[in-house]
Amino acid sequence: MIQLAPHLFNGLTLGLLFALIALGFTLIVGVMEVLNLAHGSLFALGAYIALSMIDPAWAQETALGGWWLGLPITARYGVALAFAPLAVGLAGMLLERCLRPTYDKAPLYGLLLTFGAALVIEELIRLGWGTGEQHLPVPDGINGAFFFGGLIFSKYKIFAAVFALAAIAAVWVFLERTPYGAIIKAGAHDSEMVRALGYDLARLRMFVFGLGAALAGIAGIVMVPIWGLRPHVGIDVVIPAFLIIVLGGVGSFWGAVVASILVGLAVGITGAYASAWSLMSMYLLLIAVVGFRARGLFGRKSALER
Amino acid sequence: MLTLSDISPRSTAWVTPQMLVLALVMLSAPLWLGPVGLYQYLGIEIAIWMVYALGFNLLFGYTGLHSFGHGAYLGVGGYAFGLFQHHVGTSLVGGLAAAILASALAGMIVAAAVSHRRGIYFALLTIAFGQVFWFSAIKLHWLTGGEDGLLNIPRPALDLGVVQVTLSDNLSFYYFTVAVLGLCVVALWRIVNSPFGRILQAIRQNEMRASFIGYEVWRFKFAAFVLSAMFAGLAGGLFAMAQESAYPDVMSLHQSGLIVMMVLVGGGLVSFWGPVLGVVLYFVARDVLGALTETWLLWYGLMFVAMVMFRPEGLAGVLHRLRRRPPSAAQTRPVTSGGA
Repeated sequence: MIQLAPHLFNGLTLGLLFALIALGFTLIVGVMEVLNLAHGSLFALGAYIALSMIDPAWAQETALGGWWLGLPITARYGVALAFAPLAVGLAGMLLERCLRPTYDKAPLYGLLLTFGAALVIEELIRLGWGTGEQHLPVPDGINGAFFFGGLIFSKYKIFAAVFALAAIAAVWVFLERTPYGAIIKAGAHDSEMVRALGYDLARLRMFVFGLGAALAGIAGIVMVPIWGLRPHVGIDVVIPAFLIIVLGGVGSFWGAVVASILVGLAVGITGAYASAWSLMSMYLLLIAVVGFRARGLFGRKSALER
Repeated sequence: MLTLSDISPRSTAWVTPQMLVLALVMLSAPLWLGPVGLYQYLGIEIAIWMVYALGFNLLFGYTGLHSFGHGAYLGVGGYAFGLFQHHVGTSLVGGLAAAILASALAGMIVAAAVSHRRGIYFALLTIAFGQVFWFSAIKLHWLTGGEDGLLNIPRPALDLGVVQVTLSDNLSFYYFTVAVLGLCVVALWRIVNSPFGRILQAIRQNEMRASFIGYEVWRFKFAAFVLSAMFAGLAGGLFAMAQESAYPDVMSLHQSGLIVMMVLVGGGLVSFWGPVLGVVLYFVARDVLGALTETWLLWYGLMFVAMVMFRPEGLAGVLHRLRRRPPSAAQTRPVTSGGA
């Protein structure tokens, strides 16, 4: 009999991390009904920008760079975690500008455009940062491992899971408890009416896309110390995100969170019995669920079914 | 925006002028491929990918079902061809038949699950199934050789009864793939212009209306999916011969996305010939841009993004626009001669 508890714990942590990845994705799908296949590439972009901020290659030569490298890693990591997502958010806004011609067409075109954008971003990353595997440094305080109840736990995984929980809570508060969230949700529900009430829909969409992209960037910075940083890490990320959204139901916030944890648990538990096949379990889970409930667990009718 | 049904006229011809042009270009290719700086093997790749893309467009363009996991059937075809040669016997026809049957079977399993689905749910399920096939190909080491692939697949000779044609050199194999391509083009042209093809197009335009008329829509979606998978399987068998091996790489999401890009850039949404143009453009871009810069995919990706933004009807749509009479005369329905 295999000890199941650590695998359940691992699965739960993984689920929270998946939820962090899916947050930005579900925001954009919910409001704009665009499946942003570039989400994974924006995720990678965030991590690479953070890498350049924490440990810049040019820094040794200049005085400013020397001062920056002299700062403790915790400070540099904090700054990167705050500012790299902003840069990714700007990239997301640029992508939204490119998406505008596709709004009055079938959802396929938005999907295709973001697929092309993913390819472009990935190639730009190869051009800027090289093709090799890189390592994102993390503060010492959350590095390493500790023992609890006779088992080893990675401190960083705990940090990432707590961070993911905090981010989920923050996005929920923003969407449900602030006037901005109310406008965004109204825009998803009835964009015509929101425009009639005098809100600038174009700016709203740009903002939402920027926010979704920034969330992808944050997820990237938090996740890559666990998953490793390669230019094509994006494609490994966007597929689970995509899958979680459909599993949970397009446009449903809690659906995405629940689906993430389900997927995490499925991967964790299969990892206990057949580790080579653990990543396949999420596809089988999706086929099983969507085979019976076409709109996912908490889905409602959307334009994406056309 | 243009659609497939606008350009392509109802044609009962078995052979059209465009087919003759394609045949002329493909058959004369060995004469000029070298002098323009390309090579014979590229011609083989292009011919095989044309079979794949044209078959894919039956599903993607004509039926409007956006499969993003089509590489799986190409891969299954390749493995089936290789396994047939290794375990059953060295036979060209047998291998290709095995490739087509295996991918038809794989297509049937997936189609049974997806043919009741629409839009993004259809696309996502095809991705999920594609990943399952890809993942299995990597993990079932005893069957597929894992990530190393299935090696030492022979190129069996073509037995025409009176003569045996060896296909081991690239030139004769090229002519063999062109012959297969020719058969596929005629078959697909007949399919899309048959009543069956008309129903597929009706489903794309309005699935609900097609079902109100009384067609059992899912049966047609199922049939289109399986047919399309069979063409992919045939292409996969040919590709396994070309490479003399079969790898899981062609089944990855990345590769499945590339075929969508090729078909769209070429104009598969507006023309029967779109996939052909798209395949040629992709492979020429890969070799010409690839010789100039290592980041050719960046430029190809940028071109694709620009195309989706400004010319979503693709290369075939642009060509059609150029041929059409000036806008003043466009009030009357343009008389299309023989399709774009």
